[in-house]
This record gives sequence, structure tokens and C-alpha cells, in this order.
Amino acid sequence: MLRSNTILMAAAAAVLTAAPVFSQALPRPDIGPAPDFELPETTTIGLDNGLEITFIDFGLAPKVNISVQVLAGNVFDGENTYMADVVGAMMEEGAGGKSPESIARAFASMGGDMNVGVGMHTTGFSANVLSEFGPEAIARMATVIRQPDFPESEFNRILQSQIRNMTVARSQPGPVASEAYAALLYGEDHPYGQGLPDVGQMDSYTLDQVREFYDANYGAARTRIYVAGRFDHAAMEAAIRDAFGDWEAGPEPDVPPAQIRGGPVVQLIDRPGAPQATVRLGYPVAPIGTEDAYRMTVMNAILGGSFTSRLTSNLREEHGWTYSPGSGVTNRLGSSYWTFNADISTPNTVEAFAEIFSEIQTLQLTPPGEEEAGGMRNWLSGLFILQNASTGGLIAQISNRDFFDLPQDYLETYVDRINSVSNGDISAVAAEYLQPDNMVVVVVGDLATIGEGLQAFPQFADAEFITEEE
Amino acid sequence: MVNRLLAVLGAAALFACSEPVTPPDTDTTTDHTQTDSTVSGIQVDVQYHTLDNGLRVVLSRDASVPTATVAVYYGVGFRNEPRGRTGFAHLFEHLMFEGSENLPGGTMTNLIYNAGGVQNGSTRFDFTNYFEVVPRNALEAVIWAEADRMARPIIDEENLAAQGGVVENEVLVNVINQPYGGWIWIDLPMLANENWHNAHNFYGDLEDLRAATLDDVQAFFDTYYAVNNAVMVVVGDIDYDETLGWIEANFGNIEPGPPLPEIDISEPRQEEEKFGEIYDRLAPQPALGFGYHMPERGTPEYYAMAVLDQILVQGDDSLLNQRIVNEEGYASSVFGGINLLGNMYNYNGPMLWSAGMIHGDEYDHEVIMADVDEVIEGLRTEEISQEQLDRAITKLRSQFYNIVDSSSRFGLADLLAVFAMFDDDPTRINRIEEGFDQVTPELVLATAQEYLRPTNRSVLRVIPDPDGTMSGEE
Repeated sequence: MLRSNTILMAAAAAVLTAAPVFSQALPRPDIGPAPDFELPETTTIGLDNGLEITFIDFGLAPKVNISVQVLAGNVFDGENTYMADVVGAMMEEGAGGKSPESIARAFASMGGDMNVGVGMHTTGFSANVLSEFGPEAIARMATVIRQPDFPESEFNRILQSQIRNMTVARSQPGPVASEAYAALLYGEDHPYGQGLPDVGQMDSYTLDQVREFYDANYGAARTRIYVAGRFDHAAMEAAIRDAFGDWEAGPEPDVPPAQIRGGPVVQLIDRPGAPQATVRLGYPVAPIGTEDAYRMTVMNAILGGSFTSRLTSNLREEHGWTYSPGSGVTNRLGSSYWTFNADISTPNTVEAFAEIFSEIQTLQLTPPGEEEAGGMRNWLSGLFILQNASTGGLIAQISNRDFFDLPQDYLETYVDRINSVSNGDISAVAAEYLQPDNMVVVVVGDLATIGEGLQAFPQFADAEFITEEE
Repeated sequence: MVNRLLAVLGAAALFACSEPVTPPDTDTTTDHTQTDSTVSGIQVDVQYHTLDNGLRVVLSRDASVPTATVAVYYGVGFRNEPRGRTGFAHLFEHLMFEGSENLPGGTMTNLIYNAGGVQNGSTRFDFTNYFEVVPRNALEAVIWAEADRMARPIIDEENLAAQGGVVENEVLVNVINQPYGGWIWIDLPMLANENWHNAHNFYGDLEDLRAATLDDVQAFFDTYYAVNNAVMVVVGDIDYDETLGWIEANFGNIEPGPPLPEIDISEPRQEEEKFGEIYDRLAPQPALGFGYHMPERGTPEYYAMAVLDQILVQGDDSLLNQRIVNEEGYASSVFGGINLLGNMYNYNGPMLWSAGMIHGDEYDHEVIMADVDEVIEGLRTEEISQEQLDRAITKLRSQFYNIVDSSSRFGLADLLAVFAMFDDDPTRINRIEEGFDQVTPELVLATAQEYLRPTNRSVLRVIPDPDGTMSGEE
């Protein structure tokens, strides 16, 4: 960490010393060239009804990881925020006349659970079972996905349960900040900008609306199945054809067009007495797959997206003001945004903002040196191996490529693309995208202590200020 | 580094690195020398050596991915920290990232990241660990770096001040500025245990953390961070002889430390049910948790308790989830397990099996506990069926594979390290499934009768207190 060496020099007086200093260190070993890493073979099959299946052969353990992803996420909620979640929860309440208990038991006997995960774009049904049960798991999953019972008797309980989860989320500073932040970027009228629904809205949802959402968003042509692990291809393909082959294509997916907007805007949300300020600070950036997106990836790693990043070194290692600062890019269809997030101790929040602005500006003005930038490119290359070294990781990477319609060789060429980002490119994208007049900021914290200090920043001089109670 | 102790509501597995970008840690391959597709019988290839200075070394080769995972475990955890210095073991872990003679400042972190690797550390009841996952070409350099950290760390007042601030912020973000912060993984063990070593706030009271001095740091290091109190594990795409050679060359000349101080961490048999309450200004809904003291690790009853854990709370088919969530709708989920700060394998001393839920405020806690009691009493009066037992064991096996089978290979390294440290036998990893296979319905019943006694239980409620009126903090 280039920046923290000074700490060591400064205080020489009292230091920890190892008890008997008999042992001498050997010379530091060289690190040779990185090993080659090849992604596993994959096979993709399309059925006549539009369903796509991808097989990924990986691993030695006798398990198979199955992920069925349907284009039925929150982006299709329309005005009914969270409806995709309610539908996902109701789909676990019985299917094909089988009770949830018997479905759960069946999956437990196969060594797994079936999980339903609702995301912004897709709803995913996944099971990670002992390999010999792969075909049976497919059959059971098809029942859940194709023949949900949507029992009236369970609807109110499910709704109340979802409301309870939401109420708990709203009591945490992180979700409150993220919700406000997304709304500033996309507006509350688009699902990308909708956070959590309010209780009254959710209370008004009906089972008919659940069925309507299901009918409008579930179907074979909106579904991709990923199978990863050690398994019998022929048996799994036969099971999938048998279970999903006669499913109707379903309605065409229709994602409402989204318009991302930058700032400058600063929203301050009061959490009286909070010992930390929960911060989101970001800008719209280039969409995934573009040349600038690769540059942003390296820029992000240097600025805030890795443990050796400048913002982590500064705010955490040098100053001790925060525990887990971080940054990253969030991708949506047609747009992306970069966000720095941190929970910063209240007394240090204002000075931390000064450091954040200073680090951004330094990177914009001066390209990083080869040691730092080359190290980050190496780190991203090594991280790529770890990201692709598990069945779950491979499914995530490959399905992401498919969803954003990236080139088939996106993953195979990724490391080369990262390594061809120049040091100058890094500063150039920082300068192009991290512009004060595009900045969107949310702070959830004790405004009595930090509000005035934040409002006084010259970087916020032209910003619209929104202040509210939590 | 130092992963946050526990994700917000307590159910999640640990070892989420504190780094903002982390590799997904789901399942992948490990070294199964036995590669037939039978369900049972994970066979991990294990080499075990003890150097002359007492360093225990475990190696396991698996060439499926060209990386190596290095883990150094020290036999010191929450239970060992000195009175008046709660949270010190964890604070000390942070300090071990602050540099060593040949890697001053944060340069060890740079060495690992610039080689394309990741690192982290964590503090638990009975150990503190430091680990790295790197492309195999960086293995020798990482072994060299861990030796430098063990033999020649450098920690000064500024490091102590800065990391004291980081740890304080860690406690704030995970406990104090959160609803339900730490209730079931800090407060419940504090209620259930009698012995201070098991019953103190191991994340640390903020005054204790602020009071830590460099003298404390030196004393703790001298007492516990000796080479003969450490286990080193290397798993991955390695050559056995070469790797052992590097370890011997770098660690072999480190002098062993004095014998460890003996501490009594035993707990008396609990004879009366305990109750506790927490008033939480941030919690919007009440929460209810309960914990029972576990049978001793490794005994037949311990494995039977693992089966009961599966039957009661693990998965959608579990009895408490069926009753509390699906039938009664009191809560959205019931979570729990053995050792909420890890798993059923990586601890060595008194432990709780616990479960908890956030429930609707329209449901009285006594009504909910009556349902819990009915479910648990059923297991204490009647034998479970063979089908129930088989399903529980299938789930246990599958979960065990998931622990062993992660892309970082960290789960595998962890089990090898703790079995070397606690049992002097890392090959125990290949006999875990035998432990499950000896469980019978009779043993499950007998275990439930003794260990799921209401008088072996502590019940903790979290009561929403938005205005601070109930706790008198208004």
C-alpha cells in the first residue's frame, strides 16, 4: 500500500517486537508468470418453444447445480412494486397439487433445497442436489414453475410475511440509502428506481394480481436453464425435454425503457443519533460490453473496488473511519452506474467526504503508475479464475453474458481486454464519467451533526439538495 | 480484513471477505482422489507433518483449478482474551495485517493482490486465522510472507489507533447501527453461558477496545502467536515436496514459544431455564431466539444433535419452519444451527444449538414458544422414523460437501486446520460421514431427552422500543 508506508516511519518509538529474534528472513521469492486458465466446455441447446439449455461440465464432486432463470423479475412489476417477489413467494406454496411440505421433503431427500430468488430482471429457481437426483430435481422444478397452485388460503400469510421483511429492511440504514439512491438515478416511476413498496400498497395486492403477473411473465421463450457440475448429459437433456418441452412460449418480454439521470443531487436522510453515516455516491457510466466498461472495471478496482484501492487505504487503513468501504458498477439494460458506498463514523463523515473528492480528483488528473495499475490488472485476472472456479460462479458469469447479450467469447476474451486497458485509459474514464455535475449522493445519518458540514462542500455548490426524515 | 462477524440477521455463513469484490463462494471441486459417483465417501488426500519447532503442517493436493489456498491458524480465540479486554482477540487480528519487517505497512496485501489473489482473516471462539487464495505461481512468496508475519510483525501506536477505529466502525455497522444487532450470536451466548470465557461480549465493549495498549498487544502476541500454537494448511494445485520444502525453509528456524496458559472453559450442566430481554430502539418487529447447550464435540450425541438440527431448522422441510412459518405464519423464516459463527466442526468447547426468528408483533412470544415446545417435545417423546433420519443425513452430507467444496477451497482448508488443531488429526475429515452413519432413532430420542430439555435452554426476546422508553434510555 503505497500510501500507508509513511505511518510506519512516523512512529518509531513503541512497536511490537517478536520475542526471540533468532530467525532471519529468506530473500523474497519471485512470483513467476501466472498459470493458464481455461473455462470449462459448455453446450447450449434450444428447444422449439424457445427455451434454452446450457450444460457446463465442471468439478469432481457428485453434485449438480441447476438454475432455471425466467425473465420475470422486478423490472416487470409495473406499478405494483415488489409483485415479482410476492409471486415468487406464492410459487413456493404448492404446485401440481403437491403441498409445499412434500415438495420441500422431496428436495431434502435429494440433498438440496429449491430456492426462489427474485432479481431485478429474472426470477431464478435453483437447486444444488446430489448428481444421481438431477433428473428428478428437474421434474420437480418444472412442476413448481409450470403448475403453481397459488392457494388462496396461504395468500394473506405470504403477504404479511413479505410486509414483515420489508419493514425490517426499512429499519436498516443500508436499504434506506440504496432505495433513495436508485430513485434519484432512475426516478420512482421505473422499476429500476423503485425501492420497497409501502405497507398500504402491499396490503392492497390481490391473488388475482399474482395470477396476472404469472400469466404475463412466465413461459418457455423467457426461460434459460443452466446445468453445472458432474452429471449425465443425456439423462438431464431428456428430463428437461420431458418436463419443459411442451411448455408454451409465453408472452414476449417487454422491459420498459429506462432513462438514467445524473445529478448533481444530494439527498440527506435524517437518522437521529446514528453513530455512522451510510453513504452512496455515484455517477452514470458506460454500459457493460462497451470499451469504456473494461476501463471502468480497472478504474473501479484502483479507486474503491478492491482492498488495496485508494479509498479503502485512505478511509480505512490510514484513518480508521470506516470498516468496509467499497465501490462497484451496477448494470441495467442499456445503462450502468458506478457507486461508492461506506458506513462512516459520524464525527468523521465530513472530513471523509473531503478525502473522497480528493482521491477522485487525483485519479482524474494523474494516471496511476505501472506498479499500481499493473497490480490491479493482475488482481482482476486472478479474481476471474476464482469467479469461475465453482458451478455457482460459472452459472452467474455465463448467465450474465447471456442476459446482456454480450458476445459468445466475452468471458474467454475478458482477461485480455482487462490487460489491454492502459494507465492513461484509467484516468480518462475517471475524468469522463466521475463529473461533479453528474454526481448523485445519498447520506443516511445524524443530520444535526453532519448536515451543515456536507452542505458547505464546494463540490455540492450546484447540487439540488433534498432533505428528509427517515 | 477481518470479515464482518456476521451478516445482519445472524443466519448467514461467515467468511464473507470484507473486500468489496469477492469471488462467489459456492460449490466447486476439491481433491477427491476417489472420483466414482457414489454419494457417500468424500476422500480428501491429506499429508500431515509436524516440524521440530511444533508447527503443524497440512497439505492437500487438488489440481482442478491452478490456485493455492494458504491458511495459518493460531490457537487463540474469543475464549482466551483477557478480562477487561473484551474484543481483543479480534482487534489483534486486525493488527496482524499492519505489516512485518520485510513487508512493512500494507505491502503484504499488495503482494497478494498484485499477484491476482485475495486474503482475509477472522476470529472465532477457539482460533484466529489468516488466509490467502492465489494463483499457484505466487505460493512460495505467500509462504514467505506468512513466515515474516509470524516471526517479525511490526505494530505501532498509529496502527493500534487506526485499527481500533476500524474495529469500532465494524461494531457500529454490524451491531450498534442495526436493528437486532448481534442479539442471537452475541447476547444469547452471553445469557446461556456461566463461565466468563464463554459469556463475555467477544465483539468487544467499546470502552475495552479503546483501552487497549501496545503492552497488551505485546503480551498477547508473546503468549499466543507462537509457532508451536499454529497450524499451517496449503491446499490446491501444489507439489507436496516443494511446498513442504518452502515451509521448512521459511518457518523451520522460528523459535517455539512458552507453554500456553491453561484456562478452564467448562460450563456447568444447566438445570433451570433462563430468560432474557433486549430493548431495541431500531427493531420494528419483535424477535425470539433460544439456545440449548450442545453435547461434547465428537461424541455420538453430538452427531445425533446435528441430525436434530437438520430435522428442526435446516431447510424448508424442517419441523420448525413448517410449524412456525408455513402453518402458523408467525414469522417469515426460522433460522439456526450449531455454532452460528461457523459450522458444527470448527469450534472446540462449550457451544449452543440455537434457533431464532423475527416475528409479527401481533403474536405473543408465549404462544409461539408453546408451538416450539410442542414440536420439540414430540422429538423427546417419540422416536423419529427411519425415513426422517435418512433425509436428515442426506442433508448433512450435502451440506458437508458444500463446506468442503468451495471455489476458494477455504472450507476444505478450514476443516483440515481445525481437525489438526483440535484433534491432531486432519484425516478426520475423511471420517465425518461415519459419525453421521452411527446415529439411530434411539440415539436421537435419548439425545433430545437430555439436551433439548427446557431446563437446558435460554430464551432471549428482542422487544422493539422505538422511543427508548422501555429501556429507560429516553
